[in-house]
Amino acid sequence: MIRCVRWLGLPLDAFDDWVRTPVDPRPLAFFRFWFGFLCLVNLLLLWNDLPMWLGNDGVLPPQTHLLLQDGTRFNLYMFTGYNDGTITLIRWCGLAGGLGLLAGFFPRVSACAMWLAVSSFSWRNMNILHSGDNLIRIGCFFLMFAHSGEAFTLRRWIATRRAGVGLKPFRHIPAWPQRILQLQLCVAYFVAGIWKATGVAWQSGTAVGTVLQLGEFQRFPIPDWVMTPIVSQLMTHGTLLFELGFPFLIWIPSLRMPVLLVGIVFHAGLEWTMNVQLFQWLITAYYLLFLGPLFSTSTQATAVGPAATTAGPACSA
Amino acid sequence: MLSFFHACFAIANRWPTVLTAAYSLAVLSWSMPADLFPCKSALDAITGQPLIFFNLWQGWEMFSPEPRSEDIWVGILVIDRNGSQHRWPLTHMIEMPYFTRWQKERWRKYCNDHLRLDAERTLWKPFVEYWLRTLQAKGHDPVAIELTRFWRPTQLPVSAALRADVYRGPWNHFVFYRWTAPERGPR
Repeated sequence: MIRCVRWLGLPLDAFDDWVRTPVDPRPLAFFRFWFGFLCLVNLLLLWNDLPMWLGNDGVLPPQTHLLLQDGTRFNLYMFTGYNDGTITLIRWCGLAGGLGLLAGFFPRVSACAMWLAVSSFSWRNMNILHSGDNLIRIGCFFLMFAHSGEAFTLRRWIATRRAGVGLKPFRHIPAWPQRILQLQLCVAYFVAGIWKATGVAWQSGTAVGTVLQLGEFQRFPIPDWVMTPIVSQLMTHGTLLFELGFPFLIWIPSLRMPVLLVGIVFHAGLEWTMNVQLFQWLITAYYLLFLGPLFSTSTQATAVGPAATTAGPACSA
Repeated sequence: MLSFFHACFAIANRWPTVLTAAYSLAVLSWSMPADLFPCKSALDAITGQPLIFFNLWQGWEMFSPEPRSEDIWVGILVIDRNGSQHRWPLTHMIEMPYFTRWQKERWRKYCNDHLRLDAERTLWKPFVEYWLRTLQAKGHDPVAIELTRFWRPTQLPVSAALRADVYRGPWNHFVFYRWTAPERGPR
């Protein structure tokens, strides 16, 4: 019995180590930079249409919105009520947050500002949201708690240029926000795969061919050989394999880079064929969080604090 | 007693681990189909409200369990008092230039996934009233506005000739909402 409990405890200890062992700040900082840029693009795409989507004289006036909303969600409208001035607040919060994330300028405050902006427009008109908005809200939320300003910041770049010497070593940072975002990506893929696997069209291999027929999603031209039953079947089952395999294979160190490369090819294909705005860019931005090993050979990262001196588990990317 | 406090301290010290595990389990439960995740209702009852409050709710069921089996778009017809008619294919994405259809993704989402549906009829009147105000501001004088949904089924087996930019098959259509201006009284 005791031996059994010890065996069960091993993976829990490994998980605990994986979450609590400080990590190289560069993957998270790189993510913050690119993610901030995508948040800005998302905001600018919405900028002119915000009064129409959110305004009291827009397509969803308060009396209709009241009928549709459920649950209490933290957002700017909690403080302002149905007020068109909130649109200006959303715009400036989003702009300041996006620029701050991009430059690494007060990154936690910037993440908070962007999270407030996105949460507010998400609450005010849920009918315009897509999966990319989920990734933005979640990413911003956990960046609020992360030390993402340790690398790739404008301030650091200017300081280094002024000093005229080499870069200062990076300090290792708490890993848990990065771990949560890594697991979040795995959950998203796994759940998407499970939902698809329950559908008849996905089981029979016709799903991707059917989707490619739909004009509402069609983007750039695709060669005729793609629109054949056999290729449709390959792509449908390939999608299922990728989405269900990613959450498990990504943790095997020797497979990590191949899995990420397959993911990039998969999403690049979707970006070419399908019109889903920023989703492919946002989901692949999360891949940057898995690039720890790329930086591990560099001598610039310096472990700080007692926990950082211990080696992490093999999959501590 | 001392060992109890020691154990409590050890657990408190591991809060990042507890938080990471709890969050992952919560979002997994939130997003999974109910029939495939038996403890979903119990877990969601505990974690659902915090996920909603902090805007961490999510859904990953795009094109599933079945992809849409009909190609669709929504159009609007405006009839002015002078009898002139103006049609706008609001979400006929395939007819738009590449950049415009990318930019108008949220239009597609709003109109095709929500406005078009009978279940979301509460959206129809405010949508038309918004158009009315916008058109009046531009000098139009609409007497009728119609919202029309267009659809045609996708076909199997998959073939290049059935792609939306190639296939020229007929569209079914149905006017799902019509607004008419109130009669003007004698002056």
